[in-house]
Parts: sequence; structure tokens; C-alpha cells
Amino acid sequence: MSEFAGAGAEIGSFYPMPRPDASPPVEEHLPPREWLKKNLFSNVFNSALTVAAGLLIIVMLRGLLGFIFNPLRQWNATAVNLRLLMTHAYPADQYLRVWFSVAAFLILTGLSIAVWRAGSRVPVPDVGKRVTALGVFVTLSALLAPFSGSARLSWLAVAVFLLASGLSVSRTSKDRSVSSLSLLVGVCGLAALSLWVIPYGHHSFVSDRTPKILAEPGTVDLTTKLPWTIMLLIAVAAYGVGLLLRDRIPAKVARTSLVLAWILTPILLLFLVLRDPDFDMGHVLSTDIPIFLVFAVLGSALLFWLTNPETGEVGRIVAVTVLFLAFGSFLMPMRMVIRIFMLLLAIFSLAGPTFSGDRRTRHNYVAIWTGTAVFVSWLITAINTPSTAPVPGQFFLGGFSMTLMVAFFTLLVSFPLGVMLALARTSNMPIFRLLATWFIEFVRGVPLITILIFFSVMVPLFLPDGMDLSEVAAVTIGYALFASAYLAENVRGGIQSVTRGQHEAAEAVGMTTSQKTVFIVLPQALRVAIPPLVGQVIGTFKETSLLIIIGLFDLLFVAKAIIPNQTAFMGSTRENLMVISLIYWVISYSMSKASMRIEKRVGLGEQ
Amino acid sequence: MTAPTNQASSTHEAVSQRVPLWRDAVVVKWTAQVATLVLVLASLWFLATQAGDNLTARNINIGFDFLERPPDIQLSEGIDTHPATGGRALWVGMVNTLRMAIVGIVFATLLGVVVGLARLSNNWLIRRLATIWVETLRNIPLLVQIIFYFSVLAVLPRVDMDTGPINGWLHISNKGLAMPRVFIADGFYQWATVMLVGGLAAHYVRRRRVDLHNESGANTSPVLWSLGTLAVFGMVGLFIHPLFGFIEPIMGAVASLLDSLPILLPQVLLSATAVLLAGRWIREFLAGRRSAVGHLALSDDDYFRIIFTAIAALMAVTVAIYWTGLSSWILNSGSDLFRVIETKFNVDGAARPFDAMRPDIVKPGKFANYGINGLTMTVGFAAVFFGVVFYTSAFIGEIVRGGILAVPKGQTEAASAVGLHRSQSLRHIILPQAIRVILPPLGNQYLNLTKNTSLAIAVGYSDIVQVGQTVYNQTGKTLPVVAIWMLFYLATSLTISVVVNYYNVRMKLVER
Repeated sequence: MSEFAGAGAEIGSFYPMPRPDASPPVEEHLPPREWLKKNLFSNVFNSALTVAAGLLIIVMLRGLLGFIFNPLRQWNATAVNLRLLMTHAYPADQYLRVWFSVAAFLILTGLSIAVWRAGSRVPVPDVGKRVTALGVFVTLSALLAPFSGSARLSWLAVAVFLLASGLSVSRTSKDRSVSSLSLLVGVCGLAALSLWVIPYGHHSFVSDRTPKILAEPGTVDLTTKLPWTIMLLIAVAAYGVGLLLRDRIPAKVARTSLVLAWILTPILLLFLVLRDPDFDMGHVLSTDIPIFLVFAVLGSALLFWLTNPETGEVGRIVAVTVLFLAFGSFLMPMRMVIRIFMLLLAIFSLAGPTFSGDRRTRHNYVAIWTGTAVFVSWLITAINTPSTAPVPGQFFLGGFSMTLMVAFFTLLVSFPLGVMLALARTSNMPIFRLLATWFIEFVRGVPLITILIFFSVMVPLFLPDGMDLSEVAAVTIGYALFASAYLAENVRGGIQSVTRGQHEAAEAVGMTTSQKTVFIVLPQALRVAIPPLVGQVIGTFKETSLLIIIGLFDLLFVAKAIIPNQTAFMGSTRENLMVISLIYWVISYSMSKASMRIEKRVGLGEQ
Repeated sequence: MTAPTNQASSTHEAVSQRVPLWRDAVVVKWTAQVATLVLVLASLWFLATQAGDNLTARNINIGFDFLERPPDIQLSEGIDTHPATGGRALWVGMVNTLRMAIVGIVFATLLGVVVGLARLSNNWLIRRLATIWVETLRNIPLLVQIIFYFSVLAVLPRVDMDTGPINGWLHISNKGLAMPRVFIADGFYQWATVMLVGGLAAHYVRRRRVDLHNESGANTSPVLWSLGTLAVFGMVGLFIHPLFGFIEPIMGAVASLLDSLPILLPQVLLSATAVLLAGRWIREFLAGRRSAVGHLALSDDDYFRIIFTAIAALMAVTVAIYWTGLSSWILNSGSDLFRVIETKFNVDGAARPFDAMRPDIVKPGKFANYGINGLTMTVGFAAVFFGVVFYTSAFIGEIVRGGILAVPKGQTEAASAVGLHRSQSLRHIILPQAIRVILPPLGNQYLNLTKNTSLAIAVGYSDIVQVGQTVYNQTGKTLPVVAIWMLFYLATSLTISVVVNYYNVRMKLVER
């Protein structure tokens, strides 16, 4: 299977010519009566199926709508507790930080959409069809839901409006198409507008002495509708800026810096903005910055020398010496920062010869080292600095933001680890192969929950005296190890799909094994592995729900255990679960759709 | 593998020189590997000593003695709700996990095939329904689904004498679902022996009918014939099963024989098996590496594999000889097994093989609950069951759909050209070919389902993880319990992948 996929991908990149039958079949346009006959009533069995399925749909829809519109349902439980669901106990007076973070993500999203030219043209008749289908659905719901007469009439009016507009759009503008982005912005804009216009009611939680629920008629509170509207405007503006920049900056530079921004932004936001560390400037100036400077200057000189192609053998010996020094630093009493810097420097030195080249390449390499040093130095300082955000409990984030954070760090750690495991498993060095195989098979053989429990209970026991690791960090390590084993298998599929000729060609031009791996094998392997890797991302996102079993306050915990325990919302578990299911669903579904689009764009799966 | 590439860059005159030690690919490779191995072992050792120190500092002792002590816990369901020892409690949890996994696999497969076929149906409505099913279920975390089903089931009416849709026969309440059950009674094992003979007879009849078909070409319906034979044996067995009472003394004799065997026998057998297996593997490996003219070129990797196999065999022999506990355990459990079978056959002639009972409702204290008579599905079981079955069915549906789409269109067309209708071509032409594509990912789904049953902990179904957590909360033996979990799941995963691989190999297209 994977071999074919790899071969297909290669051919696709050289001859971007779709095979005739690879294009989607053109749907024949039948008049409604014949369409019905062909698709629903072609023979007796088919008709029976249609009737049975129709009855099933009616019964299910009736049950679902009866559940949703039952006056006993407490749908405002989630509306009132939206802040709890999103950030758990993050202080309300510091909420500007949260909005700042959301805005940062939206800016990145807008820029990325512009730079990668995401989005496509959608034929207007298709849009019309969707609207018509929505109209049919609303009609059915209006007829089946347990409404009062007047409510039913108003729902029917909406349905008729949708049906009429959908049909008229698909009839009148046959050959026009509309950009999917403008559709998206339009829908979001309508939603934002509705916050200002439609009287959803003003639900809030007054937590001053006696907690009570406030539910007033009118539009939603200004603290909800204003930020969201601004967020939408920011996203659109970012897209506009992206459009302007796209033609002025080389695509490669723009894309690289955006990818870097996507990786660094969450870390910066988490440790700098949301956590708000209370830096001790005296300590920073007297200790952190000098250590950083020493490593930045000396390390840069060393790496500049190592990446010189003429350095030769001595360079390798020096690199190995640095590695030994790094290991040696763990045996001596020393600051942890220095040890980490030594290890990083050793890794950079060992990789140096692989990236050797002309002056420019060497400058870039040194720049990357300096950048990494700045970042690591700052990160270690930030983590070790106490936070000013006064949050009760052990961790300052919770709810959806914790779900996202754990998923992000899991992926960040597991990706390099998984690639390394895959390389080790496919290498011709038996001990590496054995270690990797045992690790992968062991991790894949046990359920995630046992690994998580192991890490949450055992990690404190493994640490030496004086070292401390929060439970969230311990559990994230467990997640990352688990994910890396699965990721390694996906990447391995990709590596094995790289044809032998590619290996031989790389060797023929005199590449070393590591150069071959970095420049020839991995780029092709990862491209083939895109679909399973996106599946992995979705899986990791869904698996973060297991945090509830460890007792951490993720989205599911808030929905299942916190909100239904509030006196006002006793027994609202089902409503909350339905709402968070929707959140999970929207994110997973849009990711899988996006992955399909990427697959098509890079020409995977077309053989 | 390919030749070391470092030499490729050496200059012309260097070719004649000896490669310096630090550029010799084999030396560099092995130094790096041994260094990594040492590093990994050193960090593991470091962690272990740290954990040991911390454990002694906190006065926690790790030992498996809790397995023998009374655990003082009560399980919500299982073969034994008041286990006498910690080990027994974990055993009940294992049985519950396996029960859930097996039932889940069966139903998820059935539902998944239906969903996969529905996704390819001619009927627009069915196709749409299946798509909605798949896209909804696989994009919502399983744990959310399980908790949701649980919270839905928990609001069902309280259990009472008249809460069932069919009172006395079928009850649905917040304690779960109870229905009549057929269970195996004392005479079952004798009857099963009859059925064993019947199975052999049915196999023979089927072979005969197939031969007849091959000779004459007439439709001899072999499957029907063999099923009929089986049915006849089953019916007759209901009356003649006491005839097989003579098996009891035989089993007793085998058990006594196993008791009297020396420990040396399993030791020798195990060692011989290990040595033979390793020898065979090495011989086949060498044969595979030999070129057509018999030239043998081995890389360092190959030498490593051979030496590794030999060392593994040696270690197996050492373990078999020095760990006498293993050999005596094999003998003891063997004789125990036959003793158990002996008691199973020790029944009077009038015992029936099967019995049936209607569900009952008991009220030991304030609250009513189902008794042990009926077949009861507790709410926890139902939540986990629906969760894993629905969730996995979405994935299996996609696998089945992919497998069917992987069958070339020409096959379908050829099938309809020779006059098979849709269901026939599906059964005889498409599914047999699709199964080869379907099986490997299907096996993965079975593994996932089995591991996913561990989420039962969220709704209190007494699977091994939930029982284990209760046990370590009471005894503080986290590490041993986690070790038992992992061993259990590893063994289960291994079993499933062995079974799936077996079928995978059998189903493989035989190529020339």
C-alpha cells in the first residue's frame, strides 16, 4: 500500500497531470422526479430501505428535538459558565491577557491563510444547494419539534425563507462562484452581528458573596459581544495584511517564519502573557544573561568553525568531546541551565557537519543556534519564575485552554521524538532498532490511561530531591511518549515508501548518511505521511479528554464535574456534554476536512 | 544493507590506505550504539534508584503480597463481586475487561460492516445516514461519548417490579437491562463432548459433499449438510450425554500422572524447544542470506542478529533450568486443569446441559436491584459497550468502505456480466477480495477497542483498570498494580495481533 502511495506522490510532483478517472465524477443533473426514482426508489428493496430509513430519521429527530427543546433543559448552564469552560479559574480581571492570546492566534491564522493561499472557489449553485438542504432540515425540525403553534409558525417562516433563497440562488446564478473565505467571513460576521441584534438574553454568574445566576432579557453582555467582534475584525485585517505581504516577501521566507511563529507563539503566550512571570531582574542580569552570553558567543564561534567543510576530522572529535563534557556536567554539581545548554550545544555540534556549506549557510546555522539559545534561556527563566496570576489550585489554566495546551505540547514533544524513533526503527544499527522497536511496541500495547496514571503517580518518585514537576507537565510527558510511538509508526510508513533509487542517488552524489536522511529521505517520507499525521493530531486532541481521569481540570472535567455541581444547574450533565461534544466535533471535523484538502493539493493518493 | 558511505568521500590516494579507526563505519556505528545503550541503561538505573530511595523515604514498600491478602473491596459486577484476595479481585477485573473486549469486537465488527456497506449503498438516504453516523462518532472523543451514554442511562426510571417493557421478562431501568438467560448447567460438559464428536462428523460430511460436488458438479449444499449433522448430534446429545461419564476417571488419571512427573521433564522440554527454535531460525536466516551460488556475506547487523538469537536461547535455557518455580507451576496448573475437568464430568446422569431463568428483582436493603437469575447488563457496562461499539464501528465502517473501493471496478462489472446480482457479487466476488485489504487495519481497530475498554474507569464498570485503582488506593501498591495492568494489556494485545496475523497470512493472495 504505502509503497504505491509513495511512488504515486513522486510521479504526481513531477508530472502534475491528474489521471483522467482521478477527477471527481461529474454528477449528472436529473430532474427531481427521476433523481428520486434513481436514488431512492429504484427497486422494491431500495424503496423499503428508503421508507425504513425515513421513519428512523423521523423518530430520531423527534427524540432529539424533544430532548433539546424540553423546557427542563438547562442550556444556559454552558452560556453562564462559558468562562469556566474556556479557562477554568483564570482571574476575570486579567481576562485581557486571554483575549490578547486569542487575537494572536487569529492574526497567525489570517496571515497563514493568505500566505498559503488556502480556500477555494465554491460554485454558487452549491451554496444554494446547502442553503436549501438547511431549509429542508429546518422545515422537518419545525414540524417535528414539540413547539407551540406560534413558535412553529416562526420556525416555518425561517425555513421558507431559507428554501426560497437557496432555490433562487441555485437557479439564477449558474456559472458564478464565490470564494470560500468570503463565505466563512460572511457566516462569522452574521454570527457576530447576531450577538448585537438578537436578544439571546443576558446570562452571567454573579460570584460576589452569594453566587447566583443572572438571566435578563436583552442581547448578550458587552464583555462577550465586543471582544468577539473585535476578534473577527482582527482576523480579517490580518488576512488583508497577509495579502499585502504575500507579494512583497519571498514565499519561502514567509512560510518558514510563519511555521516558526506557530510553534513559538503558544509557548510565549503561555509563559509570558498568560502566566505573567514576576521576573527578578537582579537575578536575570547577574546570572541568566551572563550564562546566555557565554554560550551564545563561544557556541557561535565553535559552530561557525564546525560547519566549515574544510574542518574535517578534528571537528567530529571536538563535537564528541562537547558531548562527553555535556554528559560529564550531569555528574558534577552545576546549574541545570548550564547542563541543558551543554547538551544543546553538543547536539548542534554533532549536527554541524551535516549542515556545512558556504558562508551564508554557516551564518544561518549560527543564527539558528543563537536564536535557540535566546529562547531556551528565556523559557527556563520564565518557568522558574513564580507567576503573578493568583489562581487557586495547582495550575493556572483549565478547561478548553488546558485541553489545547496539553495537545500542543504533546505534539511539540512527540514529533521530533517520533521521527527519531522511526529513523531508529528503520536503521541498520541493531541496538537502535531493538530499543526503538521495544519502546514502540510496548507503548502501543498498553492503553493510554495506564501510561497517564503511571506518569502522574510515578514521576514525583523518579525525581531527585529538590526537583519538582507539576502534574500537568508529568502527564504531558506521558501523552508525548504515547503519541510518539504511534507517530513513529506513521513516519516509518513514509520512510519505507521512499524508493531505493532515492537512497542510491543520494549516496552517488556523495552525501553522508545523515545528509541523506535529513535532505532526501525525511522530506519525502513526511510528505507521504501527512494524512496519518493529521489523523494523529486529531487523535491527540481527542485523547486530551482523558485528563479528567487523572483529575486535571480539562474541558470535559468542567462540563461533567464542575458545572452540574453548581446549585443552579444540578443535573445539567447531558446538556454540557452535548455542548462540548460540539466543540470537539467542530475542531476535529474541520481538521480532517483540511487534511483532505492538503492531500489533494500535494497530489497524494493519486496514482 | 548499503555500503558505508563515509568511504565515498575519501580521496583517491586514501583508498589504498587503511581507514582510520574513527572513520571506520563499523567502529563508529557500534561505538554510538553501545554508548546509547549504556546511556539508556544508566538513566533507567538512575531513575530506579531514585524511585527506590523515594519509596523508602516515604515508607512505601512495593511487593506483590497484596495479591494474597483480603482486599476488603466490593466490585459492582463480575464473576465474583466479593473477591477473597487482591489477586482474585484483579482476576475478576481481567475477566470483565476481556468480556467487554470480546462482546465489543463482535458487535463493532457487525455494525461496522453494515455501516461500511451503507456508505456505498445505492440508496441516497442510507448513504447519507451512514456518513452522518461516521462523521459524528469518530470526531467526538470516546470518553465524552461513554460519559454521555452513562448520563443518559442514569436518568432511566428506578428499578421496580413493573418497570420493564415486558414485566418479568425484560426490564430496563437505571440499574441497567435484565432479560432471561440460558446458562450452562451441570450436564453441559458431557454434552459438549458429544458436540465435539459431532463437529468431527460434520467436518467429514462436509468434505464428502464437497468431493461429491467436484465429481458430479451438482449442487450438494455441503454447508447445509454439515450444519444438519451438527444439529442431529446436538439433539441426540441432549439424551445420550451421560454416556460420556467415563471421561471423569481418565481425566483424574491424567492429573495424577502430571502430579507424579518429575520437574526435570518440563525443564528439558522447555530448553530443547528454545534451542531448537533458535537453531532453526539461524539456519533459515543463513539460508536466506546465501546467494544463488552459495556465497555467504554477512554484515555486522547480521552477525548481531545471530548472536542475539543465540544469547536469547541460552537465556531461555538458563531461566528454564534455574527457575524451578516455572516448571513446577506448569506441572501444577496442568494437573489442576485436568482436576477441574474431572469435577466437571462428575455429575449424575439426570443433569441437564442447559437451563434457563427469568430475571428477578431483589431488595436486600432499601434499594431494589436485579438478582443473579437474569442476564443483566449494568448501566456501566452498557455505557462502555455502546461507547466502544459505536465509536469503533465508525472506524471499521471506513475500513470496510476503503477495502471494497480497493477492489477493481472490473471485478464488479465482470460479476454482473456473468449474471450475479448485487448481493451475490458482494458475497462471492467483492468481499473475499476486500478482506485482504481490510484485515490488517481491522486488527488494529480490535487492538484499539480492547485498549479503549480501559475508559470504563470513568463510569465505574469494574474492568481491570478500575479494580486496580481501587486496590492501589486501599493498599498503596501503585507500582505493582500498574505493572500487572501493563503485562495484562501487553499479553492481550499480543494475542489479538497473533490471531489477526494468522488470518492475514491465510487470506493472503497466493502468488507465484
